[in-house]
This record gives sequence, structure tokens and C-alpha cells, in this order.
Amino acid sequence: MAQSATAPISATGPVRRFTGDALLVGSGLLMALTLYLVYMWVPTEQNLGVSQRIFYFHVPLGWIGMVSIMVVAVASILHLFTGKQKWDDLAYTTAEIGIIFASLILVTGAIWGKPVWGVWWTWDAKLTTTLVLWFIYVGYLMVRAYGPAGTQGKRFASVIALIGAIDAPIIYKATDWWRSAHPERNVPSDLDEQMLLTLLVSVLAFTVLYVYLLMERYSLRRSESDLDELHQRFA
Amino acid sequence: MSFTRDLHSYARARLTTFSVLIVMAVLALSAIGIAGAYEGPMQAAAQGAVPAQEGSGPEANLPFLFAVYIITWAAFFAYVFYVSRRQRELRNEIRDLKRALEERDSRDS
Repeated sequence: MAQSATAPISATGPVRRFTGDALLVGSGLLMALTLYLVYMWVPTEQNLGVSQRIFYFHVPLGWIGMVSIMVVAVASILHLFTGKQKWDDLAYTTAEIGIIFASLILVTGAIWGKPVWGVWWTWDAKLTTTLVLWFIYVGYLMVRAYGPAGTQGKRFASVIALIGAIDAPIIYKATDWWRSAHPERNVPSDLDEQMLLTLLVSVLAFTVLYVYLLMERYSLRRSESDLDELHQRFA
Repeated sequence: MSFTRDLHSYARARLTTFSVLIVMAVLALSAIGIAGAYEGPMQAAAQGAVPAQEGSGPEANLPFLFAVYIITWAAFFAYVFYVSRRQRELRNEIRDLKRALEERDSRDS
């Protein structure tokens, strides 16, 4: 090992700490603004009533859940081509956070479905493809946890991530391709201006939160890699 | 090396437990949906009819709205707590190992 025992390992520099703090504060402020807009400012939708306000949480969660699997796939491909550990760490980290968002999509969707459709769940195309995405996340993490150690396990997981990347656009287009009870696409084109603004602020708030979580978890993942390296040096 | 193995086992156990709980929740929701309200509102919603509302007033569905917010925030707080705790534990372990390595290097030299 070229690195000495006293060299800093994955040091958390001031810039990294400042960025993390700024993202956390920014996310908190944006979330507070989102709550104000959702509860106090945005008008109640005529047909769906109060339950429509779930929309301002459900759509950003769905958006990030789909973006996450794309990030996992891209990072996995980069890892396969370059062999750099940082890409693999990014893929794993994004998958772990992605499954939280994917789980929340399903849970919030079910809670919204009950008052609107009268059922918690139905095997609708949009819902089913989203459930498939959730299983893809679980599959990825399971392969990483229990699959072959080393490069082979990472390759297997990368294939699963690529399948997930294929599933994401299918989820988006599900309402176009199949008859569905789910509203068309994710955001209706004739959305009221106030509703659209509230949705955009909410998407921004969740995106900032997502980046913050990603940074923190990535840092943790790097620490785990450093720990393994230290153990190897110590052995 | 045993620490790393223990750490990975711990993380795997947590992940597995988490995944199983989520699967059970989804299955439970599906079962409730199938058993409780199998017909009617879904077909009406699919045909563009005004969705069925439970209760009479516009606030009738507030519990659903609050449930969504509470569950979402609980999930995020739990995850942030988990990450920060793991990070603190790992940093302490790295610090101890570095100290041990320094002692070994100085002893060897």
C-alpha cells in the first residue's frame, strides 16, 4: 500500500461538510415552504378533495424513485467500464436510497388509492410496473448482500440495475400504453398554476433532500470501504 | 477482519428485516383492498366518473393525508438516524484502527 498509516482516509473536508449542512438546511426550509403551500395556499381540487394534496408528496417520490434506478444503472456501467470503486459505491448507495423512495411511492399511492378508488391496491399497469421497480431494487440489494463476492456479484447486480433502467420509462408511459385508472402521465397538462408551483417546490425540496441523503450515505459507504482497506493493511 | 464480517452480517440482517416488513405491508394492503372493496369505485374511476368519497365533508379524507405525511417523514428520519449512527460507529472504528497501525509502524521502525 502506497498510503501511509497516518494519511487521511476519506477525510470529511470543510467544503464537504458545508455542502452537507447547506443541503440539509435548504431541504428543511424548502420542506417547510412545501408544507405551507400544500396546507395553506394551494386550492383544494374539486373532485378529489383534500386527498388530492397527497399528490404533492406522491409525485416527487415517484420522480426520484425512477431517477434513482437510472443513476444506479449509469454508475454500474461506469464501474464495469472503469473498474473504479467509487462508481460501485455510488450505485450501491443510490440503490439503498432508491428503495426507500420506491417503498414510499407504493405506500403513499396505496393510501391515496383508498379514498379515491375505494381500494388500497389494484393490479393496474402503472402500479404493477412500479411494484416491479421495487422488486428490482430489492433484487439488486439482495444480490449485493448474498451474491458472489467480488467483481462477479457486482456484475450480476449491474444487470439487474440495467433491467430497472428499462422499467423506469415503462412506468412513465404505462398510462399511455395500457388502459389505466391512474391519472395520465404524472402531471396533467392542464394543472392549475398554483398547483403546478406547489408541485415544483415540492419536487425541488425532495430533490435537495435526496441529494443530501445520497451524500451522507455515500460518505458512509466510503468509510466502510476505508475500513476494509485498513483491515487488509492491518492483517 | 471479523469486525467487517460482523458489520456486513449486521447490515444484511437489517436490510433483510426491512425488506420483509415492506413486502408484508404491501401484501397486507393488497389483501385489505381485495377483501374490503373489490368492485365499484375502481370501475367508476376508470370510466372518468367522479371518484367515490368517504364521508361527506371535504375534510373527510384528512386522515389519509396525515398518514402519508407521517409515514414519509418517519421513514426519512429513521433512515437519517440509521445513517448518522452507522457513520459515527465507523469513524470511531477507523480512528482506533489508524491508531493501532501507527503504533505498529512505530514499533517496527
